[in-house]
Formats: sequence, structure tokens, C-alpha cells
Amino acid sequence: MKKYILKRLLSIIPVLLGVSILVFFLVRLIPGSAIELFLGTQVEATPEQMEELKRIFGEDKPIPILYLEWLSRILKGDFGYSLRTSRPVLPDILNRLPLSLELTFFSLFLSIIIGIPLGILSSLKQNPIINILIRIVGLLGLSLPQFWLATLFVILFSSIEGFIPMGNFVPFSKNPLMNIKMLFLPSLAIGLGLGAVVMRFTRNNILEVLQMDYIKTAKAKGLSQRVVLFKHALRNALLPIVTVLGFNAGYLLGGAIVIEEVFALPGMGRLALYAIFQRDYPLLQGIVLVISFLFVLINLLTDLLYAFIDPRIRYE
Amino acid sequence: MRFFIKLSKSPIAIVGLFIIIFYLSMAILGIFWTPYDPLEMDYNKVLKPPSLEHFLGTDEFGRDIFSRIMVGSRISILISLSATSIASSLGIFLGVISGFWGGRLDNLLMRVVDVLFSFPPLLLAMFIMAILGERTYNVIIAIGIVYTPQFARLVRASILSIKNLDFVQSAFAIGGSKLHILFRHILPNILVPIIVQASLCLSLAILLESALSFLGLGIQPPYPSWGNMLSSARRFMLIAPWTAIFPGLAIVFLVLGFNLFGDGLRDLLDPRLRNIR
Amino acid sequence: MRRFLLISFIILFVILSFSSSQIKTGGTLTIGVDQEVVGLDPNIVTAFSSFRRIDLLYNRLVKYDSNLNIVPDLAASWKILDNLTYIFYLRKGVKFHNGRELTAEDVKYTLERILDPKTASPGRSFIEPISSIEIIDKYTVKIKLSTPLASLLSGLASNNCAIVPKEEVEKYGNLQRNVVGTGPFKLAEWVPDNYMRLVRNPDYFEKGLPYLNEVIYRVIPEQTSLLAGLKAGTLDMATINDGSVILQAKKDPSLIVIQKPGINVRTFGFNTTRKPFNDIRVRQAIALAIDREEIVATAEFGMAMPTSPIPASVKKWAKSYKLLPFSRPNIKKAKDLLVEAGYPDGFSFKIVCSPTYEGGIAVAQVIQNQLKKIGLKPELEVLEWGMYIDRWRKRDFDSMVELRGGDPDPDRFLYRILHSKGAVNNFLFKDEEVDKLLEEGRKLTKYEERKPIYDKLQYLISEKAPVIFLYVPYETQVLKPYVKGFKQVGNGSLYYLANTWLER
Repeated sequence: MKKYILKRLLSIIPVLLGVSILVFFLVRLIPGSAIELFLGTQVEATPEQMEELKRIFGEDKPIPILYLEWLSRILKGDFGYSLRTSRPVLPDILNRLPLSLELTFFSLFLSIIIGIPLGILSSLKQNPIINILIRIVGLLGLSLPQFWLATLFVILFSSIEGFIPMGNFVPFSKNPLMNIKMLFLPSLAIGLGLGAVVMRFTRNNILEVLQMDYIKTAKAKGLSQRVVLFKHALRNALLPIVTVLGFNAGYLLGGAIVIEEVFALPGMGRLALYAIFQRDYPLLQGIVLVISFLFVLINLLTDLLYAFIDPRIRYE
Repeated sequence: MRFFIKLSKSPIAIVGLFIIIFYLSMAILGIFWTPYDPLEMDYNKVLKPPSLEHFLGTDEFGRDIFSRIMVGSRISILISLSATSIASSLGIFLGVISGFWGGRLDNLLMRVVDVLFSFPPLLLAMFIMAILGERTYNVIIAIGIVYTPQFARLVRASILSIKNLDFVQSAFAIGGSKLHILFRHILPNILVPIIVQASLCLSLAILLESALSFLGLGIQPPYPSWGNMLSSARRFMLIAPWTAIFPGLAIVFLVLGFNLFGDGLRDLLDPRLRNIR
Repeated sequence: MRRFLLISFIILFVILSFSSSQIKTGGTLTIGVDQEVVGLDPNIVTAFSSFRRIDLLYNRLVKYDSNLNIVPDLAASWKILDNLTYIFYLRKGVKFHNGRELTAEDVKYTLERILDPKTASPGRSFIEPISSIEIIDKYTVKIKLSTPLASLLSGLASNNCAIVPKEEVEKYGNLQRNVVGTGPFKLAEWVPDNYMRLVRNPDYFEKGLPYLNEVIYRVIPEQTSLLAGLKAGTLDMATINDGSVILQAKKDPSLIVIQKPGINVRTFGFNTTRKPFNDIRVRQAIALAIDREEIVATAEFGMAMPTSPIPASVKKWAKSYKLLPFSRPNIKKAKDLLVEAGYPDGFSFKIVCSPTYEGGIAVAQVIQNQLKKIGLKPELEVLEWGMYIDRWRKRDFDSMVELRGGDPDPDRFLYRILHSKGAVNNFLFKDEEVDKLLEEGRKLTKYEERKPIYDKLQYLISEKAPVIFLYVPYETQVLKPYVKGFKQVGNGSLYYLANTWLER
């Protein structure tokens, strides 16, 4: 087990290295440099001013050399300074992390309390018409674009105070109740779709597990449907959901871009969006690295958790 | 033909198919006729609610929302189909190289896939769009690239799982050429998961396109796409909610159509695969 | 004269203090804005969003008041000896946020910093003819010019020419994230893309000001969210520029909307070296197809003022566009001109624009529609903001919708845009007559002498139509009724927040 964890941890390194190379070169391929954006459309710079600006922005060397310099600084924990705000990049990214973690957590939470009971319920009904209806509802959940749901929520709830964070987002540490109230609708916009995934997954797994021999044996022993379901089937059926949720959690941390945009939440995704729009190279490189790191880390943790709760799995 | 007979046994797939056909016919009809010119502005009819004249209302330039949704369906379907074709063909190609030939190249390719995988799809698509510029064909390319790794992984895994089965091994033993074995024995046997994945990709592509356009990195005005209609509607959604509601409904139902069809297809082709997603 | 001013001031003060509103000090005002700053060094930044913070953090030698007249700021008074020599008498006892007194040394250092090409200051082009800066005594500076520059004071009133302390610049390299100004407020806390908190500067040189204890800028990119913030009471004030949102705000009785024609100008310009826009008749035909009123009504929901080449809000200089040639729609004449130019069936071309407010996508869509009426086939090229700027800098466009930063002085506005050597002449426009008039206009400092020159220029520019000046958007602030004492300047400045108090 230890060996496995170590091996997995080491395998993160090439992925992050690849991400860093990809990001570093990709951002510089985007037309319109940070310097041009800085100058905007109101001023013109002479060639010598441009050279000077390049030096100030730290872009005055060939890209591969810049990359190596950047990488060596990152290893020392120095993520550089934002070209837009001139502030150090890492603290500003880490400032966004609590919100993204919270949003991810609440979304997963909502998806579980929506998805699992509905999944169980639907797997108990054997009426074909209800079956089809349940499937359609589930698929409908999958078909709702998050940003549209979010937009609808804003239309519906804008007159009720406190539900829509309009740039006055309150951190959990300042006022937990207010914070949760504000994150409810954004989490629901994500959680509904994810809940549909969880529901379908739960249902399918239960149906599958119910076909297994040991369940049939249990039933043959005369145990009631309910006991069979809750004591035997459910545990095994729900285990794989950990993987699904873990995978989505990884993406949500940096991928709730549209939700953060619609609700004006200061999260990681929106920071990345603006970094692209502003060609804020150091910030974008930093944030993508952090997002990718969290993604691989969460996937690793999910796998380990899975191994932990499912004794059948033994890693070498 | 056999396929369609089989299909008729799945009511879900049929409902899905009907929805898709409805949108397709709307898209095709939209080429020749729309109630109003989707680009024509009318300053006397700005932000009018649904009425007999404009039954889904008008937008901030007095353009007919229904006509714009019709044209938007063409763009969405076009992008969805083309992006899925790109993602699947590219993914099959890479997956085959990786899974069938293996070796160092396999290792390298899979690391690249890992890297692409660790980006949230929307973020990766935004990157690609920012580099390529906001053109319709670039949206197709971006979405295609984003979903390629999933196909590559799937194909590779499927190939690895049947590569060592007896019938493939015996084909090798007889001395069949690699290409022959690939096309004769392997590809036909992994077709089902690919088709299932493709049906999933169709709906994901629509959602991703609309999200991109919503953020201003997809299809650009004045050409209507459901995403950019929603994006500009955001400014008026409180005074003119219809501008935001109808394009969204259009997305929901087409995606639902693809999902229903895909789900039904999955049942028919391979019941074991119900768990995907 | 002095005495008269004093007496009227006292009377005004008495009236003010007897009127219903009693000034209250203290409290926190939260203002919602839609963009985060791009750095805070006044001499370096270019973004409007940065200027709106610098308004409260720094001071210039002179500034514009709410009627767009030049009034004292750090300089208590000044003398113009001749066209080439200016003397500024500084206020005494002005302190930087670090506690040190501001002197003539700082003025000299700052202006030299701006003039140094290595600083890459956008302010350099405003004051380039300065040849020497001489310290006469601790509070007196003499500025000499190599050539006359009518718009010198206007340039010095720009936030790009705000005075900075030498030792702090040298300590930090630049002041992009460290604020040490002389302004009424000091920077206390900054969480990017979220908020910036400024606190009262107790040593501010205008006694008694500012009234507020704190000003908090909240960055809320969504215009509708700004409005929602006001309604919910989380904002006391917001700068809103989206017409549809302002309309909604006007309907709300619990909000006060104040508007004033601004100074920025929406333009539709051509690359005059590209075919067919190198043909004056083509440009004129397009100008004749454009209906400013319709653009204002649709793209800005009526919240803008059609303009001539000089911002219509600068009444002193601007002629009504209706009196200028090729400025009112005439479809028939436009079509005739196209036939004459050899395009009876029109032609297709691209209009570059961007979805941001500055990028004018709504305007471009209306223009596209209008130009179809004379048989042209314009295509919109909607670019993400970064690419838009890239194309602007490379002059890579057929035509382009822009928002140009205007100025109350016609020289500072027009010279940069239309002189063949102008710093931001992206139209690559070259016309000897226009050049000559622009050069003459900046040499004279008397209004009566300059006026006929700029009248003629407005006529000429409309006729040659390298760029069509469409309208000046209203500058809009939405306030809660208890926000008192705030005034709009007309160039978007927020420095009257120093005179603002909360009545609750």
C-alpha cells in the first residue's frame, strides 16, 4: 500500500511538468500580449518604450529560457507577480481556494442528498412506465446547462434578499449563515445536474448488485427485500459513487467558471477566466498549475479512499 | 434495417430520435425560411414580450427570437456533429497507436492524455479558443480536441482488453498482418463502446459550445447561437426574461434528445455499459 | 475681485448650511465598479479603472472641476508668462501619505519621470514639448516648453501627471502596488477582483475634507449585479454604463440616477490606407448612411449625445454635428457617391469590434444594419478584448468601432488622433491641411484665436471622414438617496467623493 501511494505520488510529477510546459507556451501563443493589453487603445508606445515594458513585464528573453527561470522559481515557492495587479500570484490564488472548496463541497453534498435517495427509490419500483419517467427525469437533469439554471435562479430569486451574492460575497469565517445562504443557489445549479448523475449511477448499481449471487442467496434465505437492500446491496452499490464524485470534485475546483461568473463569486475558475482575458501570464500559469495539482491529488485521494472502504481492492 | 427494428423496442430512444429529428428539420427549414430575418433589426420592436406576431418575443435589437433559435439549431447541430467526428476519429487514431502498437509511444501519448485530462474541459476549450480566435470552425476544433482524450483512453483500454483474447492471438499466430488484424478483428469488436461514447459526446459538445459562447469565446454576434443569445440576454434578463428562457429551453431539449437517444442506444447495444457516466 | 469671491463664497456657505442638508462626517461609502484596476502607479497606468482609484489617492498640479474648467489642485495658482513659460505656485503644507511634505522637488522629479522614455508613461505624449523644469524655490516651479502647447494645463490635469514622491518610487521601483500619494484617501486593503478599501487621510490639505471615513470599491463585473447590489443595500453607489440597466435603475424610486454627457467619444474609423477606404467618396458615402440618433437610441438606450469631432459635452469648442457636412443621413447621396467611386453594387468589408463596452459590439451591429441600406455588405469581426487591442495596435482592420478617451481641450483630443504624426492616429490618416491647422491650434493659448481654427477643423474632418465621431456616452452614477455632495466631473472622475457625505 505504501509503495502504491508513493508510486502514485511520483506519477503526479510528470503530469504537472507537462501541464506547466503546455500552459507556459500556450499562453504566449494567444494573440495580444499582456503589454498590449496594458497599454490598451488610448496610448501608443515607441519601440524603446516597448522594450522597456518588456523588461518590466519580465518578457525580454526567449520563451524556453523564461520557462526554465519560471520553473526554478516555482520550485522555490515563488509564483511571481501578477501583470495586472502587480501583486504576488500565490496568495491571491490561495485566497480564492476556500470559496472553490466550499462550492465544490456543497455541490457534492446537494448532489448526494438529491441523487442517492432518488436512485434508491427508483430502483425499487419495477413499474415500466414509472421506470421510463424516472429515466427521463434523470436525463433531463443531465441536459440542463449549469449557466442557464444559474441565470434562471437569478431571475427568480433576485427580489429575495441575500440569496444572490451580488459582489458582496461573505466568507464563511465572517458570517457562516450568510455565507451558506449565498452559496445555496450556486451549489444547487451545479448539484442538480450532478445529482442526476448520482441518481442514475445509484440506480444502475443497485439493479446490478441485486442480480449478484450473494444477494440472491440472501433473498433465498428469506430475508426481506428491505433488509437485503439496505444491509447488503446498498453498501456495495454505493462504493463506486466515490470515484464519480471524486472525479467531479477535481473538475469543480477550477471548472465552476460559468457559475462563478453568473453569481459573481470570487472563485478559482473566474480568476482563470480573467487571467486569460488579461493575458496575465504569471497568474494564469500559477492558477492552472494549482487547479491541475488539485485535480490529480483529489483523484489520488479518491482511489485511496476507495481502497480503504472497499477491502476487496488491494493495490500492489 | 435490423438496427431500426431493434431501436423500436426502446421507447426512450424513439422519443430521443423524434426530438433530434424535430430539431434537424427546424435547422434545415431554417436554411430556406424563417418567420423573420434573424439578423434584421427593428428599432420599434425592441425587447417585446412573446405575442402572436413574435411568439417567442424579440431581443434588444428587435430581432425575432424564434427565427434566431431556428438558425441557432443549425449551428448547434453542426458543431455537435463535427466536433464529435473530430474527437472520435482523432481519439481512435491515438488510442489505436497507443493500445495496439504500445511501447514508448504509448507511454508518451498517455502522459499527454493525462495532462489534457487534468484541465477542466471548459478551461481547456477557453485556452484553445483564445489562441485560435473566435470563429465557428475554431469552436469545432476546440471542442474536438477537448473530448479527444476520452476517446483515446476508451479505445486504448478496449484494445488492451481484447488484444490477448484467444481469437486475436490466434489471428496473430496464423501470421495475419497487423493492419489486417486491427481492421478485421479488433476495431469491429470495440465499436460499441465507441458509439456509446460518441452519443455522449454529441450532447456534451452542445453544452460546451453554449458555455463557450456564453463566456464570449464561442460563436460571435450577430450570428445567433443559443449560448451567445443567452449571454447577451443576461443584461436584460430581469426586464425581459423571455430573452434568457427560450434559448435555454432550446439547449435543454436538444441535449435531452441526444441523451435519450444515447441512453436507449446503450441499452440495445450493450446492457453492460449502462454504467457509463 | 478677490473680495467679491470671498463674500459670495461666504453667502454660499451660509445658504448651504441653512439648507436642509447638514454635512455629516464619518461613515463608509461602498461604490460598485465593473472593472478591477490594472496597477496603481499614476504615471504608468492606462486603464480607466485605475484612474478612478487614483482620483482619490493622488493629486495633480491642476484639475478639472465639475464644469470642466481648470482649477487649482496641488498648485494654488499659476502664471503663463508667454506661450513657452509657465510658473506654478504650490500649496504649502501638503503631505504625502508617508508624512513628508510635498515640494517643488517632487514636481520636477515626477515630470522628468514622465518625460523619461524608460518610464513608458502614457503621460509623456501629453507634455512632450516640456524642455526644462526649474525649481525657483521650495514651492515654485518654472516649466519651459520648446514649442507652444495650448493643451499643457489639460495634460497636467491628467491622472497620468499626478505627483509622486521620489523616495518611494526609488524604494519600490514603481508604485504599481504601493500607494504613496497626497490624495484625500489612503490605500488600506486590497483583495483583487473583490474589493479595495481606502481610509481617510487625516492630513489632507483641504481642511475638513474628506467627510467620509472610508471608501470601499467593490468590483462587480456584471452590470445587472451592480444594480442588484444597490437595491439590496450592499452598495451605496455604482458606476453603471449599460443603458438597459440604467433604465431599470431609473424606474426604481429608491435610487437616484445622475447623468452627464461624458468626454469619451464613440468612433467608427477606417484604415484610410486600405482599399476602398483610401477613396474619400467611399468614406463620405458611409458617413451619409450613418444615423447617429438611431445608434444612440438602440445601442445606448438613448443615454448618449450625438457628437461632432469635438466631444459634444465640451460646449466651448464643439459645433453641433447637424451643422457639419456628411453628418446627417442621406441615403440617395450616399448611393450616388458609391456609384461615382466605382462601387454601384457595394462591396463587402469587415467591422472590428469586441463584446466589452469599449469594444462597442452593439454599435457595430446597428452600423452594420445601416450600411446595408446603401448596398454595402459589412461583416462583423467580433474579437475578444485582447485580440481587439492586438489588431488596433497593428492597424490591422478595415474599419473599427472604438471608444476614444476624450479631453476638454481640442488639441489634446484631435492632435493625437488625426495629425499624420499623432500618437494614436490608427486610421493612418494623412492630410496636409488638417496637419497644418492642428499645428496652428496648439501654438495659440487664447481661446478667441483658437476657436476659428477648431471650427474649421471640425468641418474638414467631417468632410474627409477618416473616422466618424458618433456620440459621447453619458457618464452615469447611481446613488442611494442618502449619498450627498457628490458631483460628476464629466470625465468620469470620482474626486468629488472627497466632498461626499452620508445622510443617514
